[in-house]
Amino acid sequence: MAPIDPLLVQLLAALIFVIGLVVVLARRNIFLVLMGVELMLNAVNLSFVGFSRELPGMASLWGQMTPLFTIAIAAAEACVGLAMVICITRGKDTVDSDAFADMRE
Amino acid sequence: MYPDLPAGADHAIANAYFALFALVCIACSGGVLLSKHPLNAAVHLIGAMLGISGIYALIASPFLAVIQVLVYAGAIMMLVVFVIMVLNRARDHQVPRFDWWSIPAAILPLTLLAMLGRTLSATSAPADPAAMRGEIAPIARAMFDTGAGGSGYWLLFEIVGVLLLVAIVAAVLLAKRSLDTPEHVAGIADEGHPKGDAHGAH
Repeated sequence: MAPIDPLLVQLLAALIFVIGLVVVLARRNIFLVLMGVELMLNAVNLSFVGFSRELPGMASLWGQMTPLFTIAIAAAEACVGLAMVICITRGKDTVDSDAFADMRE
Repeated sequence: MYPDLPAGADHAIANAYFALFALVCIACSGGVLLSKHPLNAAVHLIGAMLGISGIYALIASPFLAVIQVLVYAGAIMMLVVFVIMVLNRARDHQVPRFDWWSIPAAILPLTLLAMLGRTLSATSAPADPAAMRGEIAPIARAMFDTGAGGSGYWLLFEIVGVLLLVAIVAAVLLAKRSLDTPEHVAGIADEGHPKGDAHGAH
Protein backbone atom coordinates (compact mmCIF):
# COMPACT_ATOMS: atom_id res chain seq x y z
CA MET A 1 0.00 0.00 0.00
CA ALA A 2 1.13 3.55 -0.76
CA PRO A 3 2.54 5.74 2.02
CA ILE A 4 0.32 8.43 3.57
CA ASP A 5 -0.81 10.87 0.86
CA PRO A 6 0.59 14.41 1.51
CA LEU A 7 -2.68 15.82 0.14
CA LEU A 8 -4.60 14.24 3.04
CA VAL A 9 -2.20 15.86 5.53
CA GLN A 10 -2.69 19.25 3.86
CA LEU A 11 -6.48 18.90 3.83
CA LEU A 12 -6.47 17.94 7.51
CA ALA A 13 -4.28 20.97 8.31
CA ALA A 14 -6.63 23.25 6.32
CA LEU A 15 -9.65 21.85 8.17
CA ILE A 16 -8.04 22.36 11.61
CA PHE A 17 -6.98 25.89 10.60
CA VAL A 18 -10.53 26.76 9.54
CA ILE A 19 -12.01 25.33 12.76
CA GLY A 20 -9.51 27.46 14.71
CA LEU A 21 -10.48 30.53 12.68
CA VAL A 22 -14.18 29.92 13.39
CA VAL A 23 -13.36 29.57 17.10
CA VAL A 24 -11.49 32.91 17.05
CA LEU A 25 -14.21 34.76 15.13
CA ALA A 26 -17.41 33.20 16.52
CA ARG A 27 -16.82 32.39 20.18
CA ARG A 28 -17.32 35.16 22.75
CA ASN A 29 -15.22 33.85 25.64
CA ILE A 30 -11.73 35.40 25.48
CA PHE A 31 -10.07 32.15 26.62
CA LEU A 32 -11.64 30.43 23.62
CA VAL A 33 -10.25 33.15 21.33
CA LEU A 34 -6.73 32.41 22.63
CA MET A 35 -7.27 28.67 22.17
CA GLY A 36 -8.44 29.24 18.59
CA VAL A 37 -5.15 31.01 17.87
CA GLU A 38 -3.25 28.01 19.29
CA LEU A 39 -5.30 25.68 17.07
CA MET A 40 -4.45 27.75 13.98
CA LEU A 41 -0.72 27.74 14.85
CA ASN A 42 -0.85 23.95 15.23
CA ALA A 43 -2.53 23.58 11.84
CA VAL A 44 0.18 25.66 10.13
CA ASN A 45 2.89 23.54 11.81
CA LEU A 46 1.20 20.41 10.50
CA SER A 47 1.11 21.94 7.02
CA PHE A 48 4.87 22.71 7.21
CA VAL A 49 5.71 19.14 8.19
CA GLY A 50 3.39 17.76 5.49
CA PHE A 51 5.03 19.85 2.79
CA SER A 52 8.53 18.98 4.02
CA ARG A 53 7.94 15.36 2.93
CA GLU A 54 7.57 16.49 -0.66
CA LEU A 55 11.18 17.79 -0.76
CA PRO A 56 14.38 15.73 -0.98
CA GLY A 57 17.39 15.75 1.36
CA MET A 58 18.21 18.67 3.64
CA ALA A 59 15.28 20.75 2.34
CA SER A 60 12.93 18.30 4.09
CA LEU A 61 14.70 19.00 7.40
CA TRP A 62 14.34 22.77 7.02
CA GLY A 63 10.58 22.28 6.74
CA GLN A 64 10.71 20.49 10.09
CA MET A 65 12.79 23.16 11.84
CA THR A 66 10.38 26.03 11.23
CA PRO A 67 7.70 24.44 13.48
CA LEU A 68 10.28 24.34 16.29
CA PHE A 69 10.52 28.13 16.15
CA THR A 70 6.75 28.46 15.77
CA ILE A 71 6.27 26.45 18.96
CA ALA A 72 8.68 28.75 20.83
CA ILE A 73 6.88 31.85 19.51
CA ALA A 74 3.54 30.27 20.51
CA ALA A 75 4.87 29.80 24.05
CA ALA A 76 5.76 33.51 24.21
CA GLU A 77 2.36 34.42 22.73
CA ALA A 78 0.46 32.31 25.27
CA CYS A 79 2.52 33.81 28.10
CA VAL A 80 1.83 37.44 27.14
CA GLY A 81 -1.76 36.72 26.03
CA LEU A 82 -2.73 35.12 29.34
CA ALA A 83 -1.09 37.96 31.27
CA MET A 84 -3.22 40.38 29.22
CA VAL A 85 -6.35 38.33 30.03
CA ILE A 86 -5.51 38.55 33.76
CA CYS A 87 -4.90 42.27 33.33
CA ILE A 88 -8.20 43.12 31.60
CA THR A 89 -10.44 40.80 33.65
CA ARG A 90 -9.23 42.60 36.78
CA GLY A 91 -11.05 45.78 35.76
CA LYS A 92 -14.24 44.29 34.29
CA ASP A 93 -14.56 40.96 36.15
CA THR A 94 -15.87 39.10 33.10
CA VAL A 95 -14.45 37.02 30.24
CA ASP A 96 -17.08 38.03 27.65
CA SER A 97 -15.31 39.70 24.73
CA ASP A 98 -18.30 42.04 24.18
CA ALA A 99 -17.51 43.68 27.53
CA PHE A 100 -14.21 44.95 26.13
CA ALA A 101 -15.55 47.08 23.26
CA ASP A 102 -14.40 50.31 24.95
CA MET A 103 -12.43 51.63 21.97
CA ARG A 104 -15.64 51.86 19.95
CA GLU A 105 -17.24 54.39 22.28
CA MET B 1 12.35 3.61 0.61
CA TYR B 2 10.14 6.26 2.11
CA PRO B 3 11.44 7.88 5.33
CA ASP B 4 8.10 7.69 7.13
CA LEU B 5 8.54 4.29 8.65
CA PRO B 6 11.39 2.06 9.78
CA ALA B 7 12.34 -0.72 7.35
CA GLY B 8 9.85 -3.58 7.20
CA ALA B 9 6.91 -1.57 8.58
CA ASP B 10 3.55 -1.77 6.87
CA HIS B 11 2.11 1.28 5.13
CA ALA B 12 -1.45 -0.03 5.51
CA ILE B 13 -1.15 0.13 9.28
CA ALA B 14 0.35 3.63 8.99
CA ASN B 15 -2.64 4.74 6.92
CA ALA B 16 -5.05 3.25 9.46
CA TYR B 17 -3.29 5.11 12.28
CA PHE B 18 -3.36 8.30 10.22
CA ALA B 19 -7.15 7.98 9.83
CA LEU B 20 -7.48 7.40 13.59
CA PHE B 21 -5.33 10.43 14.52
CA ALA B 22 -7.10 12.61 11.94
CA LEU B 23 -10.46 11.65 13.46
CA VAL B 24 -9.16 12.50 16.94
CA CYS B 25 -7.88 15.88 15.68
CA ILE B 26 -11.13 16.81 13.93
CA ALA B 27 -13.36 15.64 16.79
CA CYS B 28 -11.30 17.46 19.42
CA SER B 29 -11.16 20.66 17.32
CA GLY B 30 -14.95 20.51 17.01
CA GLY B 31 -15.07 20.01 20.78
CA VAL B 32 -13.09 23.23 21.26
CA LEU B 33 -15.60 25.04 19.07
CA LEU B 34 -18.70 23.72 20.82
CA SER B 35 -17.74 23.24 24.47
CA LYS B 36 -19.46 25.46 27.00
CA HIS B 37 -16.83 25.82 29.72
CA PRO B 38 -13.28 26.98 28.83
CA LEU B 39 -11.81 24.09 30.83
CA ASN B 40 -13.64 21.57 28.62
CA ALA B 41 -12.32 23.44 25.60
CA ALA B 42 -8.77 23.28 27.01
CA VAL B 43 -8.99 19.50 27.50
CA HIS B 44 -10.31 19.11 23.93
CA LEU B 45 -7.44 21.29 22.69
CA ILE B 46 -4.94 19.01 24.46
CA GLY B 47 -6.56 16.05 22.69
CA ALA B 48 -6.21 17.76 19.31
CA MET B 49 -2.53 18.53 20.02
CA LEU B 50 -1.84 14.91 21.00
CA GLY B 51 -3.51 13.78 17.74
CA ILE B 52 -1.34 16.17 15.74
CA SER B 53 1.73 14.86 17.57
CA GLY B 54 0.78 11.33 16.51
CA ILE B 55 0.58 12.48 12.90
CA TYR B 56 4.04 14.08 13.21
CA ALA B 57 5.41 10.74 14.38
CA LEU B 58 3.73 9.01 11.42
CA ILE B 59 5.02 11.41 8.75
CA ALA B 60 8.73 11.29 9.46
CA SER B 61 9.18 13.80 12.32
CA PRO B 62 9.61 11.86 15.59
CA PHE B 63 11.55 14.75 17.16
CA LEU B 64 8.76 17.25 16.49
CA ALA B 65 6.22 14.77 17.90
CA VAL B 66 8.09 14.69 21.21
CA ILE B 67 8.49 18.49 21.27
CA GLN B 68 4.77 18.90 20.53
CA VAL B 69 3.81 16.76 23.53
CA LEU B 70 6.41 18.34 25.84
CA VAL B 71 6.00 22.02 24.98
CA TYR B 72 2.48 22.34 23.57
CA ALA B 73 0.37 19.73 25.35
CA GLY B 74 2.58 19.98 28.43
CA ALA B 75 3.85 23.47 29.11
CA ILE B 76 1.61 25.84 27.14
CA MET B 77 -1.67 24.08 27.90
CA MET B 78 -0.66 23.75 31.55
CA LEU B 79 -0.35 27.55 31.62
CA VAL B 80 -3.75 28.00 29.93
CA VAL B 81 -5.52 25.56 32.28
CA PHE B 82 -3.80 27.15 35.28
CA VAL B 83 -4.96 30.67 34.37
CA ILE B 84 -8.52 29.47 33.63
CA MET B 85 -8.70 27.81 37.05
CA VAL B 86 -7.23 30.85 38.81
CA LEU B 87 -9.60 33.32 37.13
CA ASN B 88 -12.63 31.04 37.12
CA ARG B 89 -15.13 32.31 39.65
CA ALA B 90 -17.72 29.74 38.52
CA ARG B 91 -19.11 32.23 36.02
CA ASP B 92 -17.09 31.55 32.88
CA HIS B 93 -19.69 29.18 31.47
CA GLN B 94 -22.41 31.86 31.75
CA VAL B 95 -20.88 33.78 28.87
CA PRO B 96 -23.05 32.96 25.82
CA ARG B 97 -21.21 30.73 23.38
CA PHE B 98 -22.28 32.41 20.14
CA ASP B 99 -24.20 35.47 19.04
CA TRP B 100 -25.81 36.67 15.82
CA TRP B 101 -22.46 37.67 14.28
CA SER B 102 -21.22 34.09 14.63
CA ILE B 103 -23.13 33.07 11.47
CA PRO B 104 -21.21 35.31 8.99
CA ALA B 105 -18.06 34.65 11.03
CA ALA B 106 -18.49 30.93 10.28
CA ILE B 107 -19.42 31.27 6.61
CA LEU B 108 -16.27 33.18 5.59
CA PRO B 109 -13.77 30.57 6.93
CA LEU B 110 -15.79 27.80 5.25
CA THR B 111 -15.38 29.65 1.94
CA LEU B 112 -11.65 29.80 2.70
CA LEU B 113 -11.65 26.03 3.32
CA ALA B 114 -13.34 25.35 -0.03
CA MET B 115 -10.79 27.53 -1.87
CA LEU B 116 -7.83 25.97 -0.02
CA GLY B 117 -9.09 22.45 -0.72
CA ARG B 118 -9.50 23.19 -4.43
CA THR B 119 -6.03 24.75 -4.75
CA LEU B 120 -4.34 21.98 -2.75
CA SER B 121 -5.91 19.15 -4.73
CA ALA B 122 -4.84 20.84 -7.97
CA THR B 123 -1.20 21.34 -6.93
CA SER B 124 -0.42 18.38 -4.69
CA ALA B 125 2.89 16.53 -5.16
CA PRO B 126 3.63 12.98 -3.99
CA ALA B 127 5.93 12.31 -1.05
CA ASP B 128 9.60 12.38 -2.08
CA PRO B 129 11.42 9.08 -1.45
CA ALA B 130 14.64 11.05 -0.73
CA ALA B 131 13.07 13.08 2.10
CA MET B 132 14.96 12.69 5.38
CA ARG B 133 13.53 11.33 8.61
CA GLY B 134 13.57 14.16 11.17
CA GLU B 135 15.43 12.54 14.01
CA ILE B 136 17.42 14.47 16.60
CA ALA B 137 20.90 14.06 15.09
CA PRO B 138 20.17 15.33 11.54
CA ILE B 139 18.01 18.20 12.85
CA ALA B 140 20.73 19.25 15.31
CA ARG B 141 23.36 19.10 12.56
CA ALA B 142 21.21 21.22 10.25
CA MET B 143 20.30 23.77 12.92
CA PHE B 144 23.63 24.33 14.69
CA ASP B 145 25.97 24.14 11.71
CA THR B 146 28.01 27.36 12.19
CA GLY B 147 30.25 26.76 9.17
CA ALA B 148 30.25 28.85 6.02
CA GLY B 149 27.69 26.60 4.34
CA GLY B 150 25.45 26.49 7.43
CA SER B 151 21.81 27.46 7.36
CA GLY B 152 22.14 30.20 10.00
CA TYR B 153 19.29 28.81 12.09
CA TRP B 154 21.52 28.87 15.20
CA LEU B 155 21.29 32.68 15.25
CA LEU B 156 17.48 32.47 15.07
CA PHE B 157 17.61 29.96 17.93
CA GLU B 158 19.51 32.43 20.15
CA ILE B 159 17.11 35.26 19.24
CA VAL B 160 14.11 33.08 20.19
CA GLY B 161 15.73 32.52 23.59
CA VAL B 162 15.93 36.29 24.13
CA LEU B 163 12.32 36.67 22.92
CA LEU B 164 11.11 34.13 25.50
CA LEU B 165 12.92 36.02 28.25
CA VAL B 166 11.33 39.31 27.13
CA ALA B 167 7.89 37.63 27.04
CA ILE B 168 8.29 36.36 30.61
CA VAL B 169 9.27 39.83 31.86
CA ALA B 170 6.34 41.38 29.95
CA ALA B 171 3.92 38.84 31.43
CA VAL B 172 5.08 39.63 34.98
CA LEU B 173 4.79 43.38 34.35
CA LEU B 174 1.28 43.00 32.85
CA ALA B 175 -0.14 40.69 35.48
CA LYS B 176 1.24 42.44 38.55
CA ARG B 177 -1.11 44.96 40.13
CA SER B 178 1.44 47.62 40.94
CA LEU B 179 5.17 47.39 40.53
CA ASP B 180 6.18 48.93 43.84
CA THR B 181 3.43 47.44 46.05
CA PRO B 182 3.93 43.97 47.56
CA GLU B 183 1.25 41.48 46.47
CA HIS B 184 -0.45 40.94 49.84
CA VAL B 185 -0.89 44.70 50.40
CA ALA B 186 -2.33 45.20 46.91
CA GLY B 187 -4.86 42.41 47.45
CA ILE B 188 -6.25 44.05 50.58
CA ALA B 189 -6.23 47.61 49.25
CA ASP B 190 -8.27 46.76 46.14
CA GLU B 191 -11.86 46.84 47.34
CA GLY B 192 -14.54 44.80 45.60
CA HIS B 193 -12.13 42.04 44.65
CA PRO B 194 -11.37 39.11 46.92
CA LYS B 195 -7.78 38.84 48.02
CA GLY B 196 -7.63 35.49 46.28
CA ASP B 197 -7.37 36.77 42.74
CA ALA B 198 -4.07 38.46 43.48
CA HIS B 199 -2.63 34.98 43.00
CA GLY B 200 -3.20 35.41 39.30
CA ALA B 201 -0.05 37.50 39.19
CA HIS B 202 2.21 34.61 40.10
